[in-house]
Order: sequence, then C-alpha cells, then structure tokens
Amino acid sequence: MTAFDPRTAPQILYIEDNEESRALVRRLLSNRFVVLEAANALDGLQLAEETHPNLVLLDHNLPHMTGSEAATRLKKLLPNTPLVVISSDTSAGARIRALAAGAAGFIPKPIDDTFERLIEEYLNGRVEKLDHAEEHMAAYQQELVERLEGNIRQLTGTVERNKFLLDQNQRMFSMLERRHRLLETGARVAQVVTSILDINDLLKHTANIICSEFSFYYAGIFLLSEDKEWAVLRAGFGEAGRKMLAENHRLPVDDQSLAGKAILSRQAQITLDVDGEASRFKNPFLPNTRSEMALPLIFESQALGALTVQSNQMNAFTEEDLTTLQSMADQIAIAINNAQLMSKLENATAEILRRKTFEAIATATGEAIHWVGNKAAPIPGSIRRVRESLPYLLALIELVEGTAVTRDSLRAAVREIREQTRAKGIDLKRVMEEMSAMKPNRLASLVSVESLLEDLDIAETSANTILEIKEGLIGPARQRHDTAVSLGQMIRRTVANMGLPDGVVEIGWAEDLPHVHADERQMEQVFNNMIKNAWEALAGSTAPRITILGQRDRDPDYVQIIISDNGPGIPREIQEKIWVSFFTTKGGSGGTGLGLSACQQIVSQHGGTITMESEAGQGATFRVRLPVRKN
Amino acid sequence: MTTVLLVDDEKLVQRSLEKTLLRAGFEVITAADCKGGSESFRQNAGTVDIVVLDLNMPGFDGVPKSGAGLDLLEDLKKQQPNLPVVILTAYDEVNKAKDAAARGSSAFFVKGREQGLVELIQKILKET
Repeated sequence: MTAFDPRTAPQILYIEDNEESRALVRRLLSNRFVVLEAANALDGLQLAEETHPNLVLLDHNLPHMTGSEAATRLKKLLPNTPLVVISSDTSAGARIRALAAGAAGFIPKPIDDTFERLIEEYLNGRVEKLDHAEEHMAAYQQELVERLEGNIRQLTGTVERNKFLLDQNQRMFSMLERRHRLLETGARVAQVVTSILDINDLLKHTANIICSEFSFYYAGIFLLSEDKEWAVLRAGFGEAGRKMLAENHRLPVDDQSLAGKAILSRQAQITLDVDGEASRFKNPFLPNTRSEMALPLIFESQALGALTVQSNQMNAFTEEDLTTLQSMADQIAIAINNAQLMSKLENATAEILRRKTFEAIATATGEAIHWVGNKAAPIPGSIRRVRESLPYLLALIELVEGTAVTRDSLRAAVREIREQTRAKGIDLKRVMEEMSAMKPNRLASLVSVESLLEDLDIAETSANTILEIKEGLIGPARQRHDTAVSLGQMIRRTVANMGLPDGVVEIGWAEDLPHVHADERQMEQVFNNMIKNAWEALAGSTAPRITILGQRDRDPDYVQIIISDNGPGIPREIQEKIWVSFFTTKGGSGGTGLGLSACQQIVSQHGGTITMESEAGQGATFRVRLPVRKN
Repeated sequence: MTTVLLVDDEKLVQRSLEKTLLRAGFEVITAADCKGGSESFRQNAGTVDIVVLDLNMPGFDGVPKSGAGLDLLEDLKKQQPNLPVVILTAYDEVNKAKDAAARGSSAFFVKGREQGLVELIQKILKET
C-alpha cells in the first residue's frame, strides 16, 4: 500500500444530500482519495465543472433534480469521467435506469465491505454493460420526455395562474380607478354645487354637471312639495329635462316610482334593466333609459327630495357606484338645505323691506294727510262765515223799492233774488227785522265786505296751496333732458334770481370742476329749494350766512356741492323725517313739505345722493353728490 | 267780555279762528309761537279768560317742534294754575291731544269745524 499524497491521489466527487451517508463514504475513502462533497445536484454539477474529478458518486434521490437527470447532465459536462450511481432503490429498474442514463456502475445501499474495491475498479475503467441497452435507452428517453412534458404542463399551469392573477389585478385596479374617478367627480360636483346659494341655479347646475361628469344619459332632481305628498321635478338634464319641467312633472311620493320610493324609504333605489322591470317605469321623454338609480337627498334624516340618474346602458350601476353617488347626494342635500335657508333668509329680508316700505309710505301718507288737513282747516270756517253773512247782505234787497229801479233787467234781477231766497227757505223780511234789532258793531261785522273778501281769500289761498303741491309731486317725474350743466353758473344765476340780501350767500367754486350730466331745470329746482330752505332756517338770525361750495368728490367721477347755513340746526329727532314728503316744520310760513323729498328724488334719479349733517345750534350742512358722466 | 288768547303758527288757521271767535263775540289776542304766547299772556295779565293753542309750532327757542304746544301749556299753567286751555290738533294727533288733556289742559279740539270751538269755549267757561 502506497502512502497517501493528496496532490496525486485521485479525486472523488460525492453528490449526496444525506449527511450520514456522506460521513460514511468520507471515512471509508479519505485515507486513499481526495473526497469532494456536494449536498445537492446543482452544487454537485458546479463542483464537477470546477474540479474535473476522477470519479463521481451520485445519490439517486436528490433535491432539485432526479439522479437520472443529474447523471445525464454530468455525462454531458464530463463525458470521460466515470459516474457511479448509489441508491437505496435496489430494484432492477433502478440499476437499469442508472446505466441507461450513462452511469458506469450502480452500487446499492447500504454499502458493504466491497465498496472500496468497487471504487478502485470503477477508477480503473470498469464499466457495467446493460443487456438490450437500446431498449433501456429508449425507455429512459421516454421517461425523460414524460418528465419534461410534466414540467412543461406544470410551467404552463403556473403561467396560466399568473395570467389569471394578473387579469384579476387589472380588474381590481380598474374598479379602484372607476371608484376613485367617481369619488373624485362626486367631490368635484359637491364642491361646485355647495358654492351655489340660489336654489334654482344649484339644482340646474347639479343635474348638468352630474350628466357631463359621469356621462349619464339623464339626471334630474325632485324636491318634496310643502305637503310632502309630491316629488316635484325642479331640474332635469337636456331637452328631456326642459320638456318635463315645462309640464310641471311631478311624482306622488309612493312606491310606484323609483324617486318616490327613494324618498319614502330614504334608501337608494336601483333598477338595472328597465325593460325587464315593470313597464310603468318607462318615461316617454327618456326612451333610452336602461338603468335607473334614485338617491334620496337627506339632510338631518329628513328627505328633501331625490336625485334620479339614468343610463342608456343595461346594468350600468354597481353597488359601489351607489355608495359613491350617495355620498355626493348627501353633499347636494346639504347644499340644497343651505340654498333653502338662504332663500328663506332672502324672503324674510324682502318681507322686512316690504314692511319698511309700507311704514315709509304710511309715514308719508300720514304726513300728507296731516299737511292737507292743516292747510284745509280754515276753509270750512271761512265758507261758513260767508254763508252766514249772505242772508244779511241779501236782506238789504228788501230795502230796494220796485220804483227805484228803472231798468227792467235790474228789476228782474231783484225779483229773481227775492224769489230764489224764498225758494231756499230764507225769509228776507224776518232777517231784515233781526238786523234792525242788532247792535251796530255786530251788524257791521256781519255785513263787512272786507271780512267777506278776506274769508274768500282764506278759502282760495288754502285751496290753492293744496293744489300747488301737485308741482312738487310731479316735478321729479317729468321727462329729463340731460345736457352738460355748469352747476357753478347755474347756482350763481339761481342765487341772483332769489333776491337775497347782499352778503348772505358766499359761493366758493373749484376752478377745474367738471360739468355734470343732468337736466338743468330739475337741477335748478333742487338748488333753489335747498337755498330757500337754508334761508328760511335763518329767519330771525342776526347774521345770516349761507355758504355754497363746489368741489371734486373723492371719487373723480363725482362732484360735491355743499350748502351750509349758520341757522339753529335741525333737531336730531326730526333729521330722518326731513326727507319724508309733506313733513314740514314751517307751519304758517307755508312750506309744502315736498322740497327736500323732491330734491332727493331728483338727485337720486340722476345717480347722486343728498346727505345732511346738523347739530343743534350749529347750523345745517347739506351735501349733494352728482355724477359727472351719464349714469 | 270774554278774552281768548289764540296761539297758532299757521297764519290762515289763526286768522280764520280769530274771525270765528270775534264773530261769536269774544275778544281775541293772537300769537304765533310759544314765546309770543307766553309773553302775550303775561302782558295781558288777568284779562285772558281762556287760551286756545296749537300742538305743533315753534318752541321757546324758535325752532319748530312737534308737541311744542305742551311746553307752552306747562308755562301758562305755572303762571296761572286754574287757567282753562284748549289744545288745537289735527285729526291724526288725537291721542297726543288726549295726552295733553291729561297734563292739565281743559280740552282738545280737532281743527276744521270752527263753530265747534266756540261752543266748546262757552261750555268750559260756563263750568268754571
């Protein structure tokens, strides 16, 4: 026996997954050979390629591949290296398969004391021959093909499974995408509609935006009627919507319609195939509807109405869509509630405004009646006195003797008076007797021509004053003939025509003040009135002064005319009332109470404003703002 | 002879009432505002039997004021507590006038039927 030299000793590669088997072989062979080990076929193949061993021992049962497969691969890799299969499968078939796969030999497990000798023999070129080798080879090839086919089937199965998973993923993805898009659109719809506060605008927009964003065939919104008996269509998409609205389309709140059902149950309703369902759902305006969904519009658990969404596709709505659209419907319900609140608020405001207007009219009417009453008050008294005096004057006719009147016509007139007074029940003879018995000054006052004429004057003046206010009322309503008016010139002329004492009025006018676009006659009326008011306020003042200033307003499109006086000022409690028609403080001085109210009316018709500031004892300042350009 | 102090700022109303009162046989003194009314009363101390005054007219400061007649009423009542005073009023101010009556005036009279004022004055003077 020669000494063991690892540099020259033959190398044996043992491919075996069982650690104990490897340890046994290592113990048996390592005193004579270099034993390389691999625990699986793939490692073994790699090691064989790297080391080119003198002999390969191969366990038949290996992970990753069968012994036969590994044998075939090793033979291809190292065609001249002998390969011996070691197997616990001691059947004849196992040996045949090993030899058919290209092995030089087959050693059954467990190995015995012949093992070392057998290794020597294989190293020295022992090759076991197979009887009927071709048959066995063919069988082996067949087995290999079947195995490969099996592998392919398995692979194909895996690929198909992968494809199925991929499809499923894609479906999931597209579903998620659709849901995302619905959610996003829903959010956008909600965002757009919640910013609209006009209820009609809101509903119209909602129906339109739902159809355009989701590409639905039709969308409509029903709101519950006051008595909650009807779902009244308030908005509808497109031509169909327009026609239904024109027909005042409404549905009873019952289970006969999807919208009615949605309101009644406060639950979303879906009909996926309208043709398949009862034909009563068919709407002549919407012939192409194949799927319909009705979503209740719920705010604080009260149904306000329903949103109906229709598609021309069958089965267009999924449960998922329903959830998404319902959350949008909830937003719309909030928006509707907001809009309804807003509209209630507006109505309340309008009601307040109306009441204020009535109050203002009532005040103006009250002032008017008060004013007319005051002006008319002396008329009945004056007329009564004239009527009282008349019989006494007529009685003097009794003194006229028939012969004293020479002219026939005058005689006839006297006769006529006598007859008529008698006819009216006035006994002139008796009146005459009464007069004869009167004290002289009593009689004189009753037949005073001066007094009679004065009474007629009082009645006439009072009546005329009442009639004259007509001008004040109608003035502002007259047709306007606007031109470019130089207010400075106009006011100077007006002041000159008023004939006020020298030194009372002081006018200060900005040089570059533009003309105003106005009716010159009406402007004259305004400033004449205001200056007259100021002058009247100064009655009794020792140093009366009226200042008129013309200047640019802070807004360059306006000019300001400021008229102030140093009179007693306007008491706070009547400052509001001065603008009311017929309100007057002038009493006996004969104001109509229309001046300032007419001024305000004219100025506001010209697009301007009049304001007043006054403190008791500090005079009053009126500020007129007028636009430079046509308004 | 009965003397009436008539205070009203509405010129025609004042003149017409004055004439009616004169014709009814009264002596009439007139004034047009609170200040004038108060002064006339003082100047004719003891001769004025009854005062007829308007509710709305210029006050003691000369500024027109709603209800200024009440100030004059107060002033006159101070000068002569038992003085009969009739408040003249427009028909739409009856409540104000009733209020005035409660404050010491003898009566109120709604402007318009002047003969009625004559009868009212005669009735008041007969009672006092």
